[in-house]
Amino acid sequence: MANVDVSRGETPLAEDLLEFDWSSEDARHRDEVRVFLDEILPDDWEEIAKHGPGSDGQAAFSKTFCAAMAERGWLTQHWPAEYGGRDASPWRHSIVGEEMWAIGEPRGSQYMNVNWIGPAIMRFGTEPQKALHLPRISAGDVLWCQGFSEPEAGSDLAALRTLALRDGDDYVINGSKIWTSYVENAEFIFLLVRTDPDSSRQRGVSVLLCPVDTPGVEVREIPSVVGARYFHEVFFSEARVPVAGRLGGEGEGWDVVHYALQYERVGAARYARAARTLDRLAEIARVRGRLEDRLIVERLAEARAVCEAARVLTYKVIDVRAKGGAPTADTQIARVAGTRADARVADLALEILGAEALEYGSYADANFRLAMTAGVAVGATEVQLNLIASRFLGLPRE
Amino acid sequence: MDFDYSVDQAAILAAVESLLERHAGPARAIALGERDAYDSELDTALQDAGFTEVARGEDTGPLEAALIVEAVARAGGVCAFAASALVASAVSESPIEGPVALAASDTGGPVRYATSARSLLVLDRPAGEARLVPLEPGDCPPVRSSFGYPMGRPSPEILARGESLGPGSAERLERWWRLAVAVEAVGTMAACLDITVAYLSQRRQFGRTIGSFQAVQHRLADCAIQIEASRWLVREAAFQAAPQEATATAAAYALAAAADVFSETHQLSGAIGFTREHDLHVFSMRLQALRLELGGHRRALAAARWGTA
Repeated sequence: MANVDVSRGETPLAEDLLEFDWSSEDARHRDEVRVFLDEILPDDWEEIAKHGPGSDGQAAFSKTFCAAMAERGWLTQHWPAEYGGRDASPWRHSIVGEEMWAIGEPRGSQYMNVNWIGPAIMRFGTEPQKALHLPRISAGDVLWCQGFSEPEAGSDLAALRTLALRDGDDYVINGSKIWTSYVENAEFIFLLVRTDPDSSRQRGVSVLLCPVDTPGVEVREIPSVVGARYFHEVFFSEARVPVAGRLGGEGEGWDVVHYALQYERVGAARYARAARTLDRLAEIARVRGRLEDRLIVERLAEARAVCEAARVLTYKVIDVRAKGGAPTADTQIARVAGTRADARVADLALEILGAEALEYGSYADANFRLAMTAGVAVGATEVQLNLIASRFLGLPRE
Repeated sequence: MDFDYSVDQAAILAAVESLLERHAGPARAIALGERDAYDSELDTALQDAGFTEVARGEDTGPLEAALIVEAVARAGGVCAFAASALVASAVSESPIEGPVALAASDTGGPVRYATSARSLLVLDRPAGEARLVPLEPGDCPPVRSSFGYPMGRPSPEILARGESLGPGSAERLERWWRLAVAVEAVGTMAACLDITVAYLSQRRQFGRTIGSFQAVQHRLADCAIQIEASRWLVREAAFQAAPQEATATAAAYALAAAADVFSETHQLSGAIGFTREHDLHVFSMRLQALRLELGGHRRALAAARWGTA
């Protein structure tokens, strides 16, 4: 390189380099987590996991499991020490996330708590709110659900109508939320409401931390092909939540949700689960002599590449977060890639397992049902593509 | 893990970009293409600046070399830089005289840059070896091609010639060649998307910018996702010095993406995209050549991952 004029600025820090290695501590942590999972997961874990993180079995198991995680200091290690964390890097937390999601998410719905509900409370919460919620979340003994979508506000979340009007020291809530998962075992709902009845779109909305057992809150299951107790509608009629339960300023709920969603979009390491499923499919194909079939081999490889693509794109998002940068459209890019990985593998599972997949609860069936919602959850793929077009490519709006 | 350039990496890239501004670009590629000519000037400039040796530098390695190859491809350089900078350096201790062309003995077909190459690296899979064949001008007659690179056809005799680069050389050549093709695909795809986004951001029809239609935006966004994924998979594989699995993964993904990026950018650019006056073809046609070079990426990935045949 003698001929190239590389003007050296300040000496670059070791972590300043474009590089793709795990630190030895991080690599060791992954091993520790794997050993821990091996030890703690019951023999019938696969049977439990097959019903999804919203099932009673998984909800119950998540409490023991998360408590054990918390005991080791791993559940919320990426949180600041003052809130029960260990100031670990987002990389460390992402390693845990990959290992958990890959094996069927033994944290159950609590992955949401540690990924974004806790951080949102840290960022916007009052001292009493922090004192009430954060210790319980970091101890792993509380279940939450989220109340964002409404019948008339799906991908267009800003169209939400559920009203929460001030009455003395309370908000009185009327309206409904839809597509809510995990609600039947949840103690709290992270609820987005309109607190200014004359407002529209993103203005005039607020977040309430609402106990699910509040009188006037009614939960109804929406039967679906995804599985039992996967989707619910939550009705609010004259339900009262104290003003002290509002997270963030009145009318500033959109900022809270925006902050939280940046965490949620890549919170679930879908690619890790898809990649694990794929390895298993390859094994099944081998046992059945189907690895002789070149077409199957090519499709397995194609799917593997798609999983790897999602992984590396997710790492790029974590890198931005680890450096404290403002979220970029990389988040949407990674989200869409993760969705595609999930779908690709689920589809291939049907093909490789064949007619056996037709039985409810079979490996391919369970996997297929869990994967099929990915393109719609947390903002439809089309909404993510809109954002990529405008923010990443700079394409003009109408 | 770190996805930002270091100060040194940024400086190298800035130096490359400034060189490419002077010595490359689509207009130059079009002019050279009219005579099927090789860009010796660009080749010399890259060599004089030391970029050809970056992969074996003291403070630099294959990742930095890959970043430069990506930039050269994105600028439409008509020279065999990737083969020298990424492949030759990995298969031979002593420098190999450039330009270097890469051929597989068992596939046949025209070979990129063979007409101007001074060295041919032959991948002989059946024999399990790589061979180095010195070339004389005229050894490989030119072949006319639609696919954006000067091409020549080495005869079966030439492909059988040469000195073995020793045990393990076939495997090494194949891995690094695979990586090089994938890196070039990334730079080339990025140029296709840049050109298409720029064009659709100013082209108006139906009273509005075409790039403002959601149907168009989603397809471009999809291309962007695929290119970003290709880029980072490829860089990761380069950083790890082209291990079998990561390299095959990157190539399998990137060359599949290349097919999509070709068809989407052409479809969305309309008729102007097919013309010699518009820059898209300089890059898009090359994507097909890259897809047809070496190949077998998916099978290599499955073999590395699951031990398939």
